[in-house]
Amino acid sequence: MKKKKRKNRSYIGFIAPGFIMYTVFMMVPLAFAFYYSVFDWSGIGPKTFVGFGNFIRLFTNERVSGTFFNALGNNFKYLLCVLLIITPIQIFFAYMLHIKIRFHKYIRFMLFLPYVISTSIVGFFAMILFDPNVGVLNKILTALFGKDAQQAWLGDPDMVFKIFVCVIIWQCIGSGMMIFFANMQEIPSEIVEASVIDGCGEWKRFWHVVLPMLTSSLTTNITLSVIYAMTMFDLPYILVGPQGGATNKLDFINMVFYRYAFGGTYFGETSIGFGSAISVVMFVIILSLTIVTKKLLKKIEY
Amino acid sequence: MRMKKRAKKIESRPAKIIKGIISCLLVLYTFISIYLIGMTILNSFKTKSELINNTMGWPSSFTLDNFREVIFEDHFLRNLLNSVILVTVSVLCLCIVASMLGYALAHYEFKGKALLESYFLLGLMFPIQLGILPLFIMLTRMNLNNTLWGLVMIYTANLSFSTLLFTNFFKALPKSVMESARIDGARDFQVYLRIVLPISKPVISTVALISFVQIWNDFFMPLVFLTKTGVKTLTLGIYSYSANFLANWNKIFAAITIALIPIIIIYFLFSEQIVEGLTGGAVKG
Repeated sequence: MKKKKRKNRSYIGFIAPGFIMYTVFMMVPLAFAFYYSVFDWSGIGPKTFVGFGNFIRLFTNERVSGTFFNALGNNFKYLLCVLLIITPIQIFFAYMLHIKIRFHKYIRFMLFLPYVISTSIVGFFAMILFDPNVGVLNKILTALFGKDAQQAWLGDPDMVFKIFVCVIIWQCIGSGMMIFFANMQEIPSEIVEASVIDGCGEWKRFWHVVLPMLTSSLTTNITLSVIYAMTMFDLPYILVGPQGGATNKLDFINMVFYRYAFGGTYFGETSIGFGSAISVVMFVIILSLTIVTKKLLKKIEY
Repeated sequence: MRMKKRAKKIESRPAKIIKGIISCLLVLYTFISIYLIGMTILNSFKTKSELINNTMGWPSSFTLDNFREVIFEDHFLRNLLNSVILVTVSVLCLCIVASMLGYALAHYEFKGKALLESYFLLGLMFPIQLGILPLFIMLTRMNLNNTLWGLVMIYTANLSFSTLLFTNFFKALPKSVMESARIDGARDFQVYLRIVLPISKPVISTVALISFVQIWNDFFMPLVFLTKTGVKTLTLGIYSYSANFLANWNKIFAAITIALIPIIIIYFLFSEQIVEGLTGGAVKG
């Protein structure tokens, strides 16, 4: 009895530091984003309660909502690229590593490597390749086809998003790929063995044996991708600057948020309330997308 | 292993060829990384005038001028130092706080534990960016804005993933070890300090590595919270060079080389562990 009592007290000491830090610096700010979102407040001076005013302005004010929906559209466009291009590539690469193609250890090491490289360095690498004046690609094109073959690359509104996705693929493919890979390693060997005995080819085995077993890693990866896609900031900011580049093709909601929340000196307006309203919208989108993902993938699972 | 051998026997010829082609293509693809990193390192040794005409090739002579300029004439050394301090202190705090938390969640039974566990997982779903504006106001009021301490707090508070890794590890430990120590009269904290921590070196190093990589490379938090020159970190320093790269064409390669080398060394030494920690937490969670 005495022992039990002591137990009951001591766990508090272990939990308290983490609980306080996490609550004060993670959860309270999140809650306050909701609170601030119903005020008109520049950060100094009195707050004015405006109810849903910030949200109404965000969705209906012509100047603001144009920027906002353009950015939100880009977020979804990117998310679509993740689902249709990046995730399949990750699964494919992971499977290639899983069946141990030649040099698989080296390939795995190199594919994951960019994950540990800072985005500001990745942004510079992209510049080395794609800069219209000093970039390597234009130099190669000039050498092969003459001056007319040069491209504006990141300055070209039609190309900037494609380049962005390519850079993301190079930088971020490793983490998701390794999550799929780890999942494949966990598939019970009896199942794979049975399919081998049945004379199942590599391709068929992938479709009918391996792929259906990937639901857990698929859920993880898609959830992580949704969060990453909705909070996209670093790479577009580094590649094309805080305004989203050529005709705002690389503008994302987190960048719109940044301009309203912290860009006062550059963009003429700092609005805590309005910035918080954007955060709340991001929160709602992330929440609903993760719920949808979980529900959808639960259905496939058996 | 036996199964793999049998699988190979059945494999058809075309399948083998296709696999060979794929592995060649992937190896070719990895040359992009080698080229970019290699070229950056080589360029850092070129003289300013050589860089203008020869950005792609082998340097004709090696000079350390760029490094000298970056380290002694700019703020780059300060940036590097700030990053080192920030990462060291943050990783240390994070490991202490998250391991204690994980230990309590794994080895104590109490009311509301399940609720608390899911509370700590919320941070995985809602990234810290969502609350950054109130956080900014809060840190400004606490006079922690534009200090490394403010960011240490934030990185330590962002403990969901680390706590998950610790909890999973501690749950797998045999309870008997800790129970016997407790019967011997050791107090709870001593059990944690003397028995639990020494046997959890693998998970501590995993958490330390992963958070090292994340904090060392973080761009958004320093961008928002560290706006004064004296407190800026390495990533911001590099960004300020590359945002104006024509003017800094010779310095930037040296700066990136300095920033890349520690992280590449760590990756060479611990890549397996980084990957394992990242996927272990993700798949089980």
